[in-house]
Amino acid sequence: MVKDVQMTPTTSPISEKIKNLFLARETGVLVALIVMAIFLSLATPAFLSVRNLLNVGRQVSLLGIMSVGMTYVLISREVDLSVGSIYALVGLITGMLIVMGWGLVPALLIGLLIGAMVGFINGWLSTYGSLPSFITTLGMMSVARGAALLITNGEPVTVNEIQGADPQTLSQFYYLGQGRVFDLIPMQLLFFVIVAILGWILLSKTVFGFKIYAVGGSDKAARVSGIKVYNIKIWAFVIMGFLSGLAGILSIAFLPSGQAGRTGVGLELDVIAATIVGGASLAGGEGTILGTILGVLIIGVLRNGLILMGISAFWQETMIGAVIILAVGVDKWTRSRRGL
Amino acid sequence: MVKQHKILLTFTLFLIVALLLAGCGSSAPAPAETQPEPETKTEEAAPTEEAAPAEEAAPTEEAMPTEEAAPTEEAAAEPDAAASGFTLNERIAEKVANGEPLMLRVSYHDVSNEFAPFIKKGVEQAAGDFDVDVEMVGPVSPDADAQIAELENLVEAGVDGLAISSVSSDALAPIIDRLLAEGIPVVTYNTDNPESNRLAFAGQDLEQSGYEAAKVLADLMNGEGDVIITTLDAAAQWSIDRETGARRGFDEYPDINVLQTVNTGTEPQEIYGSIENAMLANPTVSGILSLECCSVSPAGEYVKRNGLTGDVTVVGFDELPQTLQLIDEGVIAASLSQAPERQSYEAVRLLLDALNGQPVSDVDTGIAIIDQSNLSDYMQGN
Repeated sequence: MVKDVQMTPTTSPISEKIKNLFLARETGVLVALIVMAIFLSLATPAFLSVRNLLNVGRQVSLLGIMSVGMTYVLISREVDLSVGSIYALVGLITGMLIVMGWGLVPALLIGLLIGAMVGFINGWLSTYGSLPSFITTLGMMSVARGAALLITNGEPVTVNEIQGADPQTLSQFYYLGQGRVFDLIPMQLLFFVIVAILGWILLSKTVFGFKIYAVGGSDKAARVSGIKVYNIKIWAFVIMGFLSGLAGILSIAFLPSGQAGRTGVGLELDVIAATIVGGASLAGGEGTILGTILGVLIIGVLRNGLILMGISAFWQETMIGAVIILAVGVDKWTRSRRGL
Repeated sequence: MVKQHKILLTFTLFLIVALLLAGCGSSAPAPAETQPEPETKTEEAAPTEEAAPAEEAAPTEEAMPTEEAAPTEEAAAEPDAAASGFTLNERIAEKVANGEPLMLRVSYHDVSNEFAPFIKKGVEQAAGDFDVDVEMVGPVSPDADAQIAELENLVEAGVDGLAISSVSSDALAPIIDRLLAEGIPVVTYNTDNPESNRLAFAGQDLEQSGYEAAKVLADLMNGEGDVIITTLDAAAQWSIDRETGARRGFDEYPDINVLQTVNTGTEPQEIYGSIENAMLANPTVSGILSLECCSVSPAGEYVKRNGLTGDVTVVGFDELPQTLQLIDEGVIAASLSQAPERQSYEAVRLLLDALNGQPVSDVDTGIAIIDQSNLSDYMQGN
């Protein structure tokens, strides 16, 4: 089934539009986010400061970039568990290339190409290879992590002048991760905004986006309609791999020291959780970029707020897990009540 | 035909990826070679069995107060009671008696973490110094079950002695006792299993190291101010031990207030974000104590990027390259080293002693404080 929100006719009367607005999954997530924000701003004055809001924006950026990719994968009724490992592999390789004296552009291109290629392999094996993507990407999670460990010999990769990086390249590389536009907006956040806008245009305004929904809704129907189902799915994985690589590069540009055994470990679960909270379904065919952004913000705001309130670290984990279950559970319940 | 073409194309792409990875792999030693290698001090200091502990102990003793030395001496004076009750199994005893080559293995609880390369260097140093077949083994993640499975496989493969570090204190005590009951000598290192009958332990007193770190920070803060403690995993036994020691240390300074223990998680971005949030929530903080290797440099980065150098004092653990660089820049005030390569080196030595029938006792690898005054010792090779 193609996502109804995307296919809403533009000629519907205003009351119909308002009804659709309230029925949209994003509205529920947005309301939850606003309630959380109001509660946190009352509970801790630091929450609403510009500095903290920019902190939250930066803290969710890399998760957000990857979640945009995961939205494509989940809508196409697949899943990618290897994103944390691709994030580490690409980030560390790019960092090593910079340390080895490579220029910024070639290093970035190689890194992003590796991310996209790993995504392509995931996609090919999950389609033409007839393997479930859960298994393919579970395997790739280990392969990519193992490759990162082999390449780095298990040692931390530190990207600085002492290790041999060219100072000019290094300052450009650092700017990608640590820079602030107008001395205010973190570069990571800017990357997230750009990726989200491009991701939204591609998913909502192009034929490719329509095909992704069609494939995820029913691949048989899509195939009968002449859509090359496998190719569409492979593209979803390539986008995912590319964006995981981009996030990995921005990560090591922000904190110029990474280690293959630690970087990006467990990130795949955060990415999937944020995307699901935002309205995407593991059953495919559902999800929007706007919803994903809201899902990412819910996770980010929750983590930020709980620390600001000085809540015990163990409670934080419990509460984040509970919110994920609650958000998806409430949505399922209200949708079933509305007959959706 | 089209399908075959696609398969061929895909295979070619896969090969390109593999070649790219292999290419990067072959050049991997380049950064490794240029990374700080403070352990070269240990390696240089350890050409012989006697020289290793003696020269290594010099800076350690300097850094350690008398309280630190006390448990070590006590342990050294009283050989482990369990050791005297241990009997080598016949197969191993025969090999020792015949002078046959022995197979020893040093099991580390996570060969993918930052600490593992240091442990491996100590093992390789011991292999060379003692001319023995010894290698580091262990799971590629902190997975106790996988570690146990590997230990069981090693027994089947005919291992003659094991040095074991577990992911948390006493996690492997049952299997250690089982191995000892089979006549296979087992020592522990890095993270101990004191509830087991292990023959001896080589490593740091974690609680004492936390205590020392707190005192270093409190003194640098002139005994007053607000402090947060950061840790990758507040629930892990090593963290609990260090935090217990640290809080004991801070208790000696009535004007030091510990505001919060921040559980940063293990992912670098997550670590930085947690510190960022905690600092915003506690604007009066003037000291950060990191309980391990990996939240100290993100704490330093936060202080540096927010213009807080000099206002917020950072003290942490271990000698990762980024930590050393931030000490050099004056952002991190001090870091406490636990000589990881010496821990595995000493573990191998203890095993060989046990196999040769000599009494073995715990070895405290001590605490060395790294700051700008002795940084050059640890940045050798850069």
